Amino acid sequence: MGGSIAVPDAGRSGRMLLLAPMLLFFGAFFLAPLLLLVVVSFTNDQEMTVLGTAQFEKFLSDRFNWRVLFETLLLGAKVVACTTLLAFPIAILFVQAGPKLRRLLLMLILLPLLTSVVVRTFAWIVILAREGVVNSVLLSMGIIGAPLQLLHTEMGLIIALMQIELPLMLLPLVSVLSRMDPNLIAASQALGAGSWRTLRRVILPLSLPGYAAGVLLVFASATAAFVSQSVIGGGRLIYMPVFVYQQATTLFNWPFAAAISVILVIAISMVAVGVNQLGRTARGNIHG
Amino acid sequence: MSANLGRRAALASAAFAVGGLAAPRPAAAATTVVAAHYPNTWETAYRTIVAPALLRQHQIELVVTPLLAFDQVARALAQPRGRPPFDCFCLDPGPRLTAIERGLVQRLDRAQLPNLAGITPGFHDEFGVGVAVQVVGLAYNPKRVERPTGWRDLFDAKYHGRVALTGFGATFGTVAMIEIAKAFGGSETNMEPAFEQVRRLLPNVGAVALNSSQLPALFQQGQVDIFYTNTNNVAALKARGVDIEFVQPDTGCPAFNTTLHIHTRSTVVAEAHRYINTSIDPEMQALLQQPPAMFIPTNMRTPLAPEVAALVGSHDAMGRFIQHDWSVINPQRPGWIERFNREVRT
Repeated sequence: MGGSIAVPDAGRSGRMLLLAPMLLFFGAFFLAPLLLLVVVSFTNDQEMTVLGTAQFEKFLSDRFNWRVLFETLLLGAKVVACTTLLAFPIAILFVQAGPKLRRLLLMLILLPLLTSVVVRTFAWIVILAREGVVNSVLLSMGIIGAPLQLLHTEMGLIIALMQIELPLMLLPLVSVLSRMDPNLIAASQALGAGSWRTLRRVILPLSLPGYAAGVLLVFASATAAFVSQSVIGGGRLIYMPVFVYQQATTLFNWPFAAAISVILVIAISMVAVGVNQLGRTARGNIHG
Repeated sequence: MSANLGRRAALASAAFAVGGLAAPRPAAAATTVVAAHYPNTWETAYRTIVAPALLRQHQIELVVTPLLAFDQVARALAQPRGRPPFDCFCLDPGPRLTAIERGLVQRLDRAQLPNLAGITPGFHDEFGVGVAVQVVGLAYNPKRVERPTGWRDLFDAKYHGRVALTGFGATFGTVAMIEIAKAFGGSETNMEPAFEQVRRLLPNVGAVALNSSQLPALFQQGQVDIFYTNTNNVAALKARGVDIEFVQPDTGCPAFNTTLHIHTRSTVVAEAHRYINTSIDPEMQALLQQPPAMFIPTNMRTPLAPEVAALVGSHDAMGRFIQHDWSVINPQRPGWIERFNREVRT
């Protein structure tokens, strides 16, 4: 079975042993806290002594909260859509590039990940503010007469998140596309398809598994981007993470904060399952 | 338990290693006090000014843990048994009250705090001592807007598009909103007039900030030219050459204390008292009053530095600044935060 790999077959018990460190780590630092979070969310009082569903009832009975949840998911969807527009051209360029340009592109793709999210976020204030880089350039070129309001708007937030989340979309996309057999493109063109048709019928469908992974990563990361949402979005755009922060650290209402977190986790998971399903169907279509 | 012992040992040995490099260590083995402080200014001031003095005078190693007030309370609440995460808190009034109500802090032994004698009356109680006064007022850019006189100006048409509002999540935001409510006929229990003004200003607001960390960047980038804040923020920006001035509102300055407290389960209570007593020492407060910390002294025996006096007047004047009753504020705060969310939401 494991003949293609140089490592000798460890057998069933051996494989479990190899998995053990990861499972232990995952169990202790992810599953256990998550379970604890769920338990806390099902308590009715701040001292966490009475079990019940009061926190969920409180959240779900308020239309304002539904709107915040909806807009958080919508923000994720918008960021996904915008990063898609940016990522595909770069990914296709990457696939067609020679090794030198590839190395350069890879470095550029990874660059945003190498700076701290707090630094990147504050840099965006300098770029988007009233007298920031964007407004100064537009004003000096005479394109606008008065500074645009970019900071503390949804548009500004999406622009900043696009830059911050782009690597998460590009990396899986590039890895899938660079594994694609270049003969497929040649075959498509030999069979008479033009560049556009090759792109539409060959490259895009084959990139879907990588794209689905990118969508998941960007969506989950953008909906949970507390620092960017609060600093660039400001106090007037309220998303779920800010809600959790207010309840947990300012008001010490941990059960309610836990319930909001659980609801956000469920909502993101539902979207993730949906995207996964789409990705799988797409893969089925390619092969079938 | 063992994890805590490990942490403490690690901190102590780290402090030992650093101390050993920096200066010859005193012969006696030092006891470690772990004190939480706000990140940046406070953390640095205590690490560079108070810690060396404590080591020199009392052979106490001060280890500073940078945490916001709310985070300190949250962390202490999350660890209800065993060794506490730190020995001493540094809090503002809202979290301070929560810490007292939840039994996180112990009563102080006045006999061990001789420097209490000089502290402005009302700036200390059985649970804690004020080490610095935070004075809240208006800050503005004198090169770009007219000097404001009071809270009502924030909502005046001449400042449209230039004002930053901060909600009830921050302590200074909460006291400012109360004063705004009062300026328009409300009170500590009637916030309605403030919400009314906020709602009217919204189409012309420069920015609504979630917390204080964004305000300096917003001000420096010209996003806003007038906001409410404490004197420390203004002093820090001014020291960096930013065009900014502080104004005491015509209806009076609200002020609150930053207080030090000892964790109920601290195992170094005597040393923790020494640390607090050193923090309120008149000479220590004079040092902490210097830039860049510029903490406003609570000890009346510390003469105010000229820059501080220019902002707040005198010790007597500070004693008359407006103080709020946080036992009235805390129960209402969740509702205010929720209401503010709804009012300002785009």
